[in-house]
Amino acid sequence: MTDGARRTLSAVLPGAGQLAAGRWGAGGTALLVWLGCSTVLIMRADRVAPAIGGSWDEKLAVFALAAGLVGSWLWSWRDVARATTTKQVGISQWDLARRAFSKNRTAVAGLMIIVALYLLALLTPLLAPYDPAAQGNLVTERFVGMSSAHPLGTDQFARDVLSRLLYGARISLLIGFVAVGISVTIGTLLGAVAGYVGGVVDGAIMRFVDMMVSFPQLVLLITIVAVFQPSIFVIIAVLGLTTWPTTARIVRGETLSLREREFVQAARALGYSKRRIILRHVIPNTLAPVIVAATLGIGQTIVLEAGLSFLSLGVQPPTPSWGTMVADGRLVLLEAWWLSTFPGLAIVFTVLSFNLVGDGLRDALDPRLRA
Amino acid sequence: MKKTALSAMAAVLAACGGSERAVSNDPFCQAVLPMVDAYLERVRSENPTPDDDRYGGTIVVGGYGEISDGMNAAVSGDNTATQHQNFVNLMTLIDYDERFEPRPYLAESWEMSPDSLEITFHIRRDVFWHDGQQTDAHDVAFTWDVVTDPLTAFPNAAFWDHWVHGPEGVEVVDDFTVRLHLTRIHADFLDPWRQTAILPEHLLGDVPRDSLRQHPFGTQCPVGNGPFVFNEHRTNERWVFDANPAFPASLGGRPFVDRYIYRIVPDQTTLLTELLTENVDVYISVIPDHAQSVLDDPALELKRFMQRQYIFVGWNSRRPQLADARVRRALTMGTDRESIVRSVVRGYGTVAHTGVPPFHWAFDPNAVEPLPYDPEAARALLDEAGWRDRDGDGVRESADGTRLSFVIKYNTNQTRQQVAEIMQSQLAQIGVEAQPQVVEYTTLMSQIQTPSLRDFDAIVLGWSADFKLDDTDLFHSERIDRPYAFSGTRNPEMDRLLEAISNTADREQAKELWTEYQAVLVAEQPYTFVYFPDRLDGVNRRVRNVVMDTRGDWVNVKDWYLDPASR
Amino acid sequence: MTRYVAGRVIGAVPLVIGIATIVFFAVSLAPGEPGILYIAPGLTQEVIEQMRANFGLDEPVYVRYVKWLGAMLTGDFGYSFSHSRPVLDVLLEFLPNTLLLSGCALLVAFVFGTVIGTLQAVRQYSLRDSAASVVLLFFYSMPSFWLALMLVLMFSLFARNVWDWPFWLPASGMTSTDHDFLSFGGQVWDRVVHLILPVVSLALVLTAGIARYMRASMLEVIRQDYIRTARAKGLSERVVVFKHAMRNSMIPIITLLGLQIPVLFGGTVFIETIFAWPGMGRAIVDAIGTRDYPLIMGGSFFFATIVVLANLVADVLYAVVDPRIRYD
Repeated sequence: MTDGARRTLSAVLPGAGQLAAGRWGAGGTALLVWLGCSTVLIMRADRVAPAIGGSWDEKLAVFALAAGLVGSWLWSWRDVARATTTKQVGISQWDLARRAFSKNRTAVAGLMIIVALYLLALLTPLLAPYDPAAQGNLVTERFVGMSSAHPLGTDQFARDVLSRLLYGARISLLIGFVAVGISVTIGTLLGAVAGYVGGVVDGAIMRFVDMMVSFPQLVLLITIVAVFQPSIFVIIAVLGLTTWPTTARIVRGETLSLREREFVQAARALGYSKRRIILRHVIPNTLAPVIVAATLGIGQTIVLEAGLSFLSLGVQPPTPSWGTMVADGRLVLLEAWWLSTFPGLAIVFTVLSFNLVGDGLRDALDPRLRA
Repeated sequence: MKKTALSAMAAVLAACGGSERAVSNDPFCQAVLPMVDAYLERVRSENPTPDDDRYGGTIVVGGYGEISDGMNAAVSGDNTATQHQNFVNLMTLIDYDERFEPRPYLAESWEMSPDSLEITFHIRRDVFWHDGQQTDAHDVAFTWDVVTDPLTAFPNAAFWDHWVHGPEGVEVVDDFTVRLHLTRIHADFLDPWRQTAILPEHLLGDVPRDSLRQHPFGTQCPVGNGPFVFNEHRTNERWVFDANPAFPASLGGRPFVDRYIYRIVPDQTTLLTELLTENVDVYISVIPDHAQSVLDDPALELKRFMQRQYIFVGWNSRRPQLADARVRRALTMGTDRESIVRSVVRGYGTVAHTGVPPFHWAFDPNAVEPLPYDPEAARALLDEAGWRDRDGDGVRESADGTRLSFVIKYNTNQTRQQVAEIMQSQLAQIGVEAQPQVVEYTTLMSQIQTPSLRDFDAIVLGWSADFKLDDTDLFHSERIDRPYAFSGTRNPEMDRLLEAISNTADREQAKELWTEYQAVLVAEQPYTFVYFPDRLDGVNRRVRNVVMDTRGDWVNVKDWYLDPASR
Repeated sequence: MTRYVAGRVIGAVPLVIGIATIVFFAVSLAPGEPGILYIAPGLTQEVIEQMRANFGLDEPVYVRYVKWLGAMLTGDFGYSFSHSRPVLDVLLEFLPNTLLLSGCALLVAFVFGTVIGTLQAVRQYSLRDSAASVVLLFFYSMPSFWLALMLVLMFSLFARNVWDWPFWLPASGMTSTDHDFLSFGGQVWDRVVHLILPVVSLALVLTAGIARYMRASMLEVIRQDYIRTARAKGLSERVVVFKHAMRNSMIPIITLLGLQIPVLFGGTVFIETIFAWPGMGRAIVDAIGTRDYPLIMGGSFFFATIVVLANLVADVLYAVVDPRIRYD
């Protein structure tokens, strides 16, 4: 098939051209996004117009819908074009990594799932059939199994599980992202400072890290949450502030080896301040393991949040989060298995995807592991 | 390499033993337990098991919580502990029959003085402590002294409100006769003696009262005088008791089963699984959502009775939006309590209008005009009280702009969470904004009960509604700065009635007063009484003669027996 | 080496005391007190005060701290409020249970993890490799309590009542109720059978982690020159992989095991709750709810000590096993 044919194909059906070129990862993603957005547009056409004037939530959803449709089309067309027209003069580290990553099928699958997940989370206001907090008839509609009115059943308050699952995605992803963001930021900064400056500062920071690790984490979590009342902010803060030691250790290790590299020595010779060196030279080069740690950390945080909900210290009702849904459903596993199972599966697949992507990144970024 | 790993593991397992009985290394226990073992051996040989195929076997009861203070009746407060003390290991002076009338147990008879301020108990002469010593009036006097001694900090001190405290209140007439003094008579004055087990004076007499709580008698080596003898207690795992062959024949004699085990299983789904796989014989306090699984299994039966407890929403009338009784009545009328009962507890409960439970003698269904579920009337009442939605946001405001909005707090309990969430949804329809908030139990209690704090608007909670009912601490204006008056009620009519009830001995007179009181209560609505929950227990049908009612789940545990074919 | 160890041990003492101190103040300053659990109408202020005094809580926080610290240094951890027993006795009763559970889980995870990781590395990017990754990660991504409950329902309830299997596992407990009456062999078997489900729940997550590290480590080792030499010498692939490569790859796994110890001790609370296993995790969590300060302190102290020791042992082992590492 000629390039021109592929380009035309992509103009008609985003992703098709890339698929024809054998790049099923990129093609699959584009196709998925485009098909998904089109389906939503068709199925929920009646909701789109009112959403434009609705809350910022709904505006964002419409924007995402439009961006998805247009973006996937443009990208697919350009990507096919680019692959055929650019000549490879030199290959950068990142390109090598990207290629290695694309070869890893499971990692690419994970990435596709994550993209789909984010799309779902953004489009939720348009997609969800019911209001997640709306209680149905408490006498007749509690614990209804999967049916046409409620594809995933209802819970103990006669609320629709599917809608709660969709809204819960946002909460769980939000918690995961922000908590890991906090954790990685603190960890990277402290790790880099410790590794680069060395000496007393290093010793002090590492002692602090040791202490955090030796702390009975659960005790701290429970006490803090019990005292400050569980809310999304408290949970994010607590999760973020207790998981940074691992990142710190990794970054410190990397910094120690980077310190002696020529470009860092050159920067020192040039008289740059420590702060500048750390921020602009050291940290950007430690990003590889940090990214890996971050993706794995998101998965870990989502599971931790589920654990907190098990101990009844998770997110406040009626806000749905996957962890709370699994925990709430555990008492009725025999009577209403769908309450725990669907959010449980959602957690598993989300965390799995993040882990696959993280693994793939690690394999791709580490030159020693490439076959 | 794998072979060595496996054999190492086997060695570890063997080393961990487990066949050895868990014995405490406390000196008191080291001294006492051999005596108990010797006594048990002796009475086993002296009292051979009758030739009746009902005798034999082990019963396993599974429950959610550990018995924290064990058999130490002087310091314990929770229901499971008290029941094990009263029905399993120790004895109380009296107990109740099926109609809640007192009947003799440890006390074989009693009489009142003509002025009703003195009661004389005659103690049975055939009851022995499990280390061989006889139970006598000195034990009763000692127990009395302990529970009325402020140093002990006996949690149910209110039991003895009408009695003369301390050594002046008790008189040992002879070894088996003891006389106690009252300050004034009350209709249910004997009830505390049904609740408080008698403790052994010869073992605990010398223990300083303020360290009684830490004494190993409670959880490590209790010595009782009841139908079951203590065998072992593995913390957080199980309590094991053996049948007492020397238990008086006129009280039923030796329990039918050889062994009674209480297992602690802290997860209800696991507990249900254990019941369904016949690993435990009884699942105490089945949650309503599991009831159907028990009913569906032909090998099991579901026992159901009304608990001595009510669930309510307490309003803090110190808050401006909740200060008007009309508002509180409207909130009650805006809540469909019937649907709450049908959904949250699947119908295993009764809607409550006051704190007087239907099984209580003071209960009269026709006496009080209950508030119905009527959102229209609720809206009208709120309008009348001056609360209208002036800015169109769906929530009413008063004339000065205060929004009819508040936070409903509750502790980490699924049922209470559901009540709060349902109310949120229902009250929204009459223009009231209720935001549920979960707070850890201990933190929550300290928030609502610290008189200077009272940090709450509304709270979903449960109180016990015992046989001896007394709302004085809750609603009397004199107690307003004490922990339990968190509703902040000041109603002179209520005060008058509460005092009158407390001073009336005659049930007939008291009943009239109770009716009047309940009418005032409904008008004042310091609480929205939601429902009286039923207690559900899952019992394997192979356990026969199980009677469970409002008196307790273990009330006749000594009379339970196992179907011989199932052993 | 001995200097290094001695230095670490000495450094560990202030660390553990520091942790215990922080926990002490965090928990003491949290609202609520043990007496709150007895609260019911009718309880007067005087009784509450007396209870507080009986619990030893009538003194200001710093006085209590100093007293506690002093007692702790002599080995007296005080009395647990909720169990009415010395804290040390309580913890020592729970410790073997947690050790048994965690130890078995660690062992199982180690064995399976290293083998699976090795097999994955030998065939990198093959279907076997990808499939194994996905399956392991699938279990790794599950909330542990959900996995545990599913296992209980499947292998205990459904196996017996629904699918009529000839053999099913007990849903909870460490031993069955007639354990005392079994023969020795019967008792060992009883324990094994009760261990299966909890250990599997714990080990599945660990196995995934160990397998991944093992895979990465093996991939590095396999590319080394000495492996190529071994192959060139004509040794069979099996000997090369299992005898030479695997042994050298296990080095970082040892540190990993050391780092997993805190996870094992802290994260077992869910498993212990679901399987009614009387372990330390559950004891400490319950203690927080009942504000059983002495037990919380004692438990945190124990936990911190175990973690510090485990890290130290892991570091030492690492140095012993890998001659390239030197701490002096």
